Amino acid sequence: MENMGLGLELMGIGMVTVFVILLIVIFGSRLLITIINRIAPEESKPQKAAAADDTAAVKPVLDAAVAQLTGGKGHIIKITKIS
Amino acid sequence: MGEILDRLYHMTALSDLIADPSYLLMYLLAFVLLYLGIVKKYEPLLLIPIGFGVLIANFPGGEMGVIQANAEGLVPLADGTMVDIWKMPLHEIAHEFGIMNYLYYALIKSGLLPPIIFMGVGAMTDFGPMLRNLKLAIFGAAAQFGIFAVLLASLALGFTPQEAGSLGIIGGADGPTAIFTTIKLAPHLLGPIAIAAYSYMALVPVIIPLVVKLLCTKKELMINMKEQDRLYPDKMQIKNMRVAKIVFPIAVTVIVAIFVPTAVSLVGMLMFGNLIKEIGADTSRLFTTISNGLMNTATVFLGLCVGATMTAESFLNLQTLGIIAGGFLAFALSIASGICMVKIWNLFAKKKVNPLVGATGLSAVPMASRVCNGISTKYDPKNHVLNYCMSSNIAGVIGSAVAAGVLISFLG
Repeated sequence: MENMGLGLELMGIGMVTVFVILLIVIFGSRLLITIINRIAPEESKPQKAAAADDTAAVKPVLDAAVAQLTGGKGHIIKITKIS
Repeated sequence: MGEILDRLYHMTALSDLIADPSYLLMYLLAFVLLYLGIVKKYEPLLLIPIGFGVLIANFPGGEMGVIQANAEGLVPLADGTMVDIWKMPLHEIAHEFGIMNYLYYALIKSGLLPPIIFMGVGAMTDFGPMLRNLKLAIFGAAAQFGIFAVLLASLALGFTPQEAGSLGIIGGADGPTAIFTTIKLAPHLLGPIAIAAYSYMALVPVIIPLVVKLLCTKKELMINMKEQDRLYPDKMQIKNMRVAKIVFPIAVTVIVAIFVPTAVSLVGMLMFGNLIKEIGADTSRLFTTISNGLMNTATVFLGLCVGATMTAESFLNLQTLGIIAGGFLAFALSIASGICMVKIWNLFAKKKVNPLVGATGLSAVPMASRVCNGISTKYDPKNHVLNYCMSSNIAGVIGSAVAAGVLISFLG
């Protein structure tokens, strides 16, 4: 029972520390997000133009994969995007 | 002929098993753990190595059980003389006490494996939900109350402060944190504490609904967080999530390192693993290693070594029962304190929070969040709280590591 004082002290210090650290993380992160929003507001997105050539770009890869799997007997006739 | 048979009998483990049937209880425990892992699929990645570790550690003469040093660091040799294990080279430990003691003292007692596992956890965690709902992270702090409440209760029951700290940390619901703290404070309790921590983590789908049912009303559980977001939108929007996710782990490491340096080995490694994940293609090879090979290797050795600490002589006592009961209390109190903080919050805030967000303030990521999402959708199939729960859930990982740092600083 003589350690109860130490236990209460640890409870106080521990809970306050956890709350303070998480509050700093929360407000620090908000500050960081504000700074990032100013410095680098946009995520670099892949260029849309490249999407049109998707089929042409992947066809050789698909051809090679199909040839490998079918031992050269299979061929791709058509590529259709499902969704 | 009789003499040969007698020598054969003593060569096998049978003579020791008949002389001390307590080993049979340990086999039973091993089989239960293996059953839970293999058949019930409760945390199989950990309970199966732990269960098998218990099994192989309890065959007399097998030299697979971990020998715990006393408070002075002394262990008995075969001839009865006491030696300081910290002055023994690792190869001598392997020679005198077997390969499992080599692994235990090199990987576990040195404190190496828990931070490595934390690194893997970091590499598999997405901090996005926390960044999107930063305010909710504060409930991850409230849920650490169970740790300190059980520490206090354990002191009242006569545990030493170091043992009480190790027992309380089970309430953090984080296996590696519980193991790391116990290694530092009360290594002789490692086996039962690890078992309690991982068993209760596996029982999260049972414990959370139980506490929620006791403390929450249907009206509270039907609070729709998306609706609250629509009514009271957050003014701050993240315009570049990728950069935010890269800067976040670096910032958190610096903050924790400044305020609680003893928690850096856990939080720092967690954040390092996460940083490697968020950088993407440039560090993809490191990410693959951390989240697969390294994590799996660490898990195998951690599980086996923790299981091997549970020998009949160190496990079968009243203290173990106290740890199992205290661990449950720590778990339930952590969930309850998170819920209570949400209730207090809701008394003053216009934007209401579903109490399930408080219940996930303990770690156990992401199972706690999934369980709470299941509860909310039971009352309202459209009310998905998963992303909101993940915020306090991830904050709980940081919170429990910080709490562990405080305990190690004051009691270590």
